[in-house]
This record gives sequence, C-alpha cells and structure tokens, in this order.
Amino acid sequence: MAAAIRQPGWYRGAIGLVLGAAFGFGLVVALRAISGLDVFQTEQTGYPHIVVPLITAPFGFLFGFGAFDYWFRWAAGKPTIPEDHSGHGAYSWKDYFKFNTDHKVIGTQYVVTTMIFFLIGGLLALLIRAELAQPGAQIVAANTYNGLFSTHAVVMIFLFIIPIFAGLANYVLPLMIGAPDMAFPRLNALSFWLLPIAGIIFLASFLAPGGAFDAGWTGYAPLSTGAPLGQSFFNIGVQFAGASSIATALNFLVTIITMRAPGMNLWRMPLLVWANLSTSLLVVGATPFVAGAQFMVFFDRILGMNFFNFLEGGDVISYQHIFWFYSHPAVYIMMLPGFGIVSEIISTHARKPVFGYRLMALALIGIVVLSYSVWAHHMFVAGMFDWLRVPIMITTLLIAVPTGIKVFSWLGTLFYGKIHTYSTAMLFSLAFIITFTVGGISGVMLGMIPIDIHVSDTYFVVAHIHFVLFGGSVFTIFAGIYHWFPKMTGRMYDERLGRVHFWGTVIGTWLTFIPMHWVGMDGMPRRVADYASQYGDWNLMISISAFLLGATQLVFLYNMIVSWRFGPKAGNNPWRANTIEWQVSSPPPVFNFDEIPRVVGGPYEYGTPGARHAIMGGEGEGAEIPETKPSTVTAPS
Amino acid sequence: MESASIAAHGHVDEHHHGPPEAHQSARIDRTVLGILLFILSEIMLFGAFFAAYFFLRVVADPDSWPPAGIELPVLIAGINTAVLISSSFTVHYALEAIKHNNHRGLKLGLTLTWLLGATFLFIQINEYIHIGFTPRDGAFGSIFFSLTGLHGAHVFVGLLLLTFANIRAYRGHFGPEQKDHLGVEVPGIYWHFVDIMWIIVFLAIYII
Repeated sequence: MAAAIRQPGWYRGAIGLVLGAAFGFGLVVALRAISGLDVFQTEQTGYPHIVVPLITAPFGFLFGFGAFDYWFRWAAGKPTIPEDHSGHGAYSWKDYFKFNTDHKVIGTQYVVTTMIFFLIGGLLALLIRAELAQPGAQIVAANTYNGLFSTHAVVMIFLFIIPIFAGLANYVLPLMIGAPDMAFPRLNALSFWLLPIAGIIFLASFLAPGGAFDAGWTGYAPLSTGAPLGQSFFNIGVQFAGASSIATALNFLVTIITMRAPGMNLWRMPLLVWANLSTSLLVVGATPFVAGAQFMVFFDRILGMNFFNFLEGGDVISYQHIFWFYSHPAVYIMMLPGFGIVSEIISTHARKPVFGYRLMALALIGIVVLSYSVWAHHMFVAGMFDWLRVPIMITTLLIAVPTGIKVFSWLGTLFYGKIHTYSTAMLFSLAFIITFTVGGISGVMLGMIPIDIHVSDTYFVVAHIHFVLFGGSVFTIFAGIYHWFPKMTGRMYDERLGRVHFWGTVIGTWLTFIPMHWVGMDGMPRRVADYASQYGDWNLMISISAFLLGATQLVFLYNMIVSWRFGPKAGNNPWRANTIEWQVSSPPPVFNFDEIPRVVGGPYEYGTPGARHAIMGGEGEGAEIPETKPSTVTAPS
Repeated sequence: MESASIAAHGHVDEHHHGPPEAHQSARIDRTVLGILLFILSEIMLFGAFFAAYFFLRVVADPDSWPPAGIELPVLIAGINTAVLISSSFTVHYALEAIKHNNHRGLKLGLTLTWLLGATFLFIQINEYIHIGFTPRDGAFGSIFFSLTGLHGAHVFVGLLLLTFANIRAYRGHFGPEQKDHLGVEVPGIYWHFVDIMWIIVFLAIYII
C-alpha cells in the first residue's frame, strides 16, 4: 500500500486531488482572513472558496497521477530516467486507465471517453426535446431548461466533436505518415487527461448553487458576468478543454512537419493528414481567443473587473467579437478533420484517386485563411459597427467556394468509380455529402444580412447548426469509427447492425432537423422553454424523431462493444486501402513499425496497376517495385 | 528537452526492442518547433487582451485615457523595460557561450538573466502596490492589471524555466551540440518572446 501511494497512479492521484483542493481552499481562507474580509463570500458571482479549489484540485490530481513526474525530475536537475517504454502499449484493459504515452492507447482513450460524453450530451438533448414536445411546461422549469441547452452544447462541442477528431487522428495519423509515435508523447497523454477533467467540471456545475451555467454555450456578457456560480465552472472548464486541444494541435503540427517517413513530401500526404494540419493551425491560432474571453468574464465575476460593465467604461459587444474570433474558426475545427476522413473513405471505396487532390489540400488551407475573417456574421443583429457588416457578408459567402471545391471533388472522385457500399463507413460518407450540402446552403443563406436578420435567434439557426454539426461532423465521425474500427480493434463490426444504425441515423436526422427550418422561418425562437401553440404539431414530430434518432445510437453502441469483444478477425487491410496504416497488422504493433517505411508514390493510386504508396520495412529493396525514387526529401520547415 | 538524459544509450534491453528512430523530415528540431508554435498561441492569447484594450480605449471612447487623476509611473516602467531588454542579451550570451563549450560564460549568462528577470518582477510588484488604483477601478484598471499581470505571469514562468536551466548549468549538464543544450535554447526562445511582448505592452499601456 505504501509503495502504491508513492507510485504514480490512481491512489496518488486521489491524494493529489484532495491536497490540491485543500491547498486552494486554504489559500482563499487564509488570504481573506489576513485581508480582514469575511472568510466565506457567497455572492453568486463570488464563492472563491469553491472556485479556486476547482482550479487547484485538477492540478493536484495530475501531479499525483504522474503527468508531471518526468518534467519534475528534469526541472530538479536530476538525471532523467531512460525511456524503457513501459508506459507504451496496452496489454490489458487496466493500461487504458494509466498515464499511457502510446499514441494508439491515447487515441482509444480519446474515442471511448468522448463517446461517453456524446451519450451524456445526447441524453441532455432528449431532455430538451421532451420539454419542447408540447407548448407549455412539461418536465423542467425554465431555468433548468436554460442549463440543459447550455450544457448540451458545451458537452457536444468541447467534449465530443473537437476531441474525438483529435482522438481518431491520434490513432491513425502517426501510422499514416510512418512515424513511431507523436512528437511529444508525454504532452499527448497530458492533453488527453485534461479532457475528462474539463468534462467533470462542466457537469459538476449542475451541483452548484443556482444550477448549471445557463447563458448558452456562447456565454454572452453581461448575462454571464452576473450569472450564478455555475458560470464560473464554465469559465474554468473551457480553459482545461482549450489547453487540451491547443497541446494536441501543437503535437500534430510538430509530428506532421518533422516526422514524416522518407519520401513523403507534402503532396504525398493523405488528405486526413492535410486536414489535421489545417485544423491544428486553426486551433493553435484561434483557441487562445476563447481562453482570453473566458478569462475576462472570469475576472469580471471574481475580481470585480469591468471589461463588460458599461457603467464603468466597459464594452459589452467586445465579448462577442473576441468570442467569435475563436468560435467561428471553431466550426471549421469541428469540420475539417471530417473532410479528411471522408476523402480517405470515398477514394478507397470508389477505387479511384481523389479528384483534384492538390486543390483539395489547397482548399483546406483556403478555409483556414478565410475562417479568420468571418467571425462577425454571428453579430449582424448585435449592434456592432455598421461598416463591418457587408465585408463580413462577402467573406462569409467566399468561404463557400473552397467548401464547394471539396464537395465537387468528392463527387468527381465518385464519378465513374467502382463504388462499393459494403461498408457502413462509405454509406455515412455518401450521406454526409448530401446532408452537409444542405447545411452548407442554409449557411450561405444565414450569411446574407437580410435573411440573417429575419431568422436571427430562431429555430432556423438551430436547424442549420445541427445539419452541419450532426449531419456533417457526426456523420464523418461515425464514418471514421466504422472505417478504422477493424484497424483499432483487429475485429470486424456487424455490417447488418451498421446498416440499421445508418438508416436510423439518416432518417432520424432529416426528420428531426428539417422541420426546424420551417418553424424557424415562421419565427419560433430558440433557447426558450415554451413556445406559441401553433408550433405544437411540428414540435411533437421533431421530438418523436429525436427519440428515434437517440434510440438508434444504442444499436451503434451495442455493435461497437460486442464486436470489439466477439467480432470476427478483420485482417490487416479489409478495405484494400493504400495508406500506410493499413499495411501493418490489426491492431498495429506496439511500436508501429520495425523499420520506418519508405514512401514512393501518392496515397490514392487506386486502379493503377503496380502503383505503390509505401514500401514497408522488411520487404527489402524488391526489384519488382516500380519507381523507387531516392529518399532525399527536403521538407519545408 | 532530452538533453540531459544520462546513460540513455547504454540501456539496451535485449528482449524489449524500442521503436525505430523517426525519420527527420524537416531541419528544425522538434522541441524548438514546439516552443515556437506554443509562442504563436501565446501571442494570440495576448492578442485577445489587446483586442479588449482596443475596444475599451477606442470603441468605448472614454473621455480621457488614462482616466483623470491617474498618473502612470512611466520613468520607473521605462527603467524596468531596460532591465528586461538587457536580460535578452544575457540569455543570448549564455547560449553562444555553451555553443563554444564555455561553461563559465553559460553560468554567468544564465545567472545574470535570472537576476535581471527577478528584478523586473520585483519592481513590477512594487509598482502594483504603489500605483494608487485597483483592478476594480473602471475599465482602465481592468485592462492595465490584466495586460501587465498576464505578462508578469509569463515572466514568472520564464523565470521558472531559467531556474531549471541554471540548476543544470551549475551541474554541468549542457554541451556544445544542439541536442545537448536545448535546455538553454528553448527557455531562451521563450524569454525573448517575453521581452518582445513587454515592449508591446509597455508601448500600449504607458506610452501611446
């Protein structure tokens, strides 16, 4: 027992958690006592004796859990422990509950954890739909309802969509580029463990006096600066989730730039790698802005500052500018990795090279650049500068161009392809193109100022966001999970159940979110627990469809869990794909490769006889392999 | 920061062969690229606060900025600026010294840098105590303490990194090869960033 306490792990983590909380609590009490203030301050924007431990306790846990052990030894000037790879690979289920530095284990941790948050977020959504099934109050009070839709959005955005893409990429990206691991494995593990911490903080806000944060996921000031204690939980949780995603993005960038296999120049990278390169550029550049915005709200609340207090010279609209400067790029953070996943799947299952591969990659970069210039289209009715409206409208409509390039390139890839639909991944990819296009078109509508003014804060906006986030991002997430499930687990999922899940999800999505456009056009406001009785019939139908959609996800869950345990062996390359991750065993060996592969051609040379993407170690300098260029690549840096 | 991993190469387990060495596809060192990208995101964090500064000063358009009755100690802050900028040169000297295997120069440079950084922080805290207004005093108080405080927090982190570098320097852990002095180079890059950011903060808060 004594040894178990000294070793990094859950025991030491629990002790660290308690000590961290005690430190924060003691600090507040001591400082307040010294300054002659009341020891406990319980205004709703105060509660320092809860808020400060909320920050210190997670760090205590991470210290105890072993997240910083290596860095502490380094900082103290001790010789570092030589890496013996004991924190690498998973040999039993217990290894998934450790501070594991293997990118494959971390990828699995990410996907499973975020799926749990997906279920929690989904249950919150169903509570919302239960409340909205009929006009008038059904199951929750109006205040609770505000908390429900706020936490639903925050859980889905910060704890499901953004991190699950990081998780999938964590698993396959190093394999795809022929790297033995990510560039900074310990930072990678730390980024993962920050995530459940953020989730617990968000969900714990339900226990705070005054209820969960209820100012929407946008947390607009001054509504948020005066809100009950739960809002501080939001401010802090966003910092942890944001730090996690910045650290992962930094890791991806360094990995992609410095660790590609010999021969893999930029124009031989699979599009998933391109997509994560662009996403990471967005995360590193934009996420600090949401951190800044939440810091300011937090300072206003806790320290009594006046960033958003008009009477003291603050500027209310500035919150929205700073927030959306992150949160508009964030919608591309939630979409670009999905573009990459879909490109992989469509090319593989249409047995054709990606149409316009270079333009696909450049379109991603175009979206990255343009996405920094469109933030204010969320603010057309906010009372911001008049002169900013039209320029922002133009850039907003412009961003449909690179997005359109991608859609047409997918269609071009399918055109005259040998389309195989035996994989649920391909079905979801095809459905994604259609659903996402509908969501994209309503996005163009919302980009036009007159329409935007008409439908601002109505269900039309809700319909749009769910068409692009559910019909877009979540479809690609399902596609990615089905596609790489055989690689990650070594087993095959049940295709029949996959189809049930697919059709239930697609039909459920359309039936749930299409009518929202109509009630929105009619003027039904969003974010309100009650509505005029004329919308009752449509809302009942939306609610029933939503429950159907929710129930279908149980099929997915059953399929994944049972197939992981009992599915038939998948083989190394069930989809006959070219990219490197399919050339290793399923699941891949602990260190990915015995020898780094050599890349000799593009990733999508389907249908070209004898074309190779990579030559794996151990294959030797085979004479029959065509076009083996010398592996001298000078990558841009 | 693998620079000081002692005897890492002597440890080869026959049964447990490790991963293959990753192919280096760019000339830049991974840790250096990592800190540069981290600094990029730090710049954006400062950017968020500078955006707030812009809104509070230009868009909200107060009658006077700083508000009437507030006199900022420009001279002291200016001296402090000189202190911090000079520390950029000393840390650069330390790096050049170790590149030429000059351990005395390394220790001298790092110690001087640490002392200059600590002096800066000390003067800054003193200024906070005697400045005559608090973070609660209007929008100016908010942005003054946020920007200088955010920067002060970065100086503090930089000082921590320099402390670690100092400990290792005095134990003789660094060497002239790049991989053997990343522990000096990386905190150095961060320190230069902290210095340059201070010049911008200083200009925005005290001068313009």
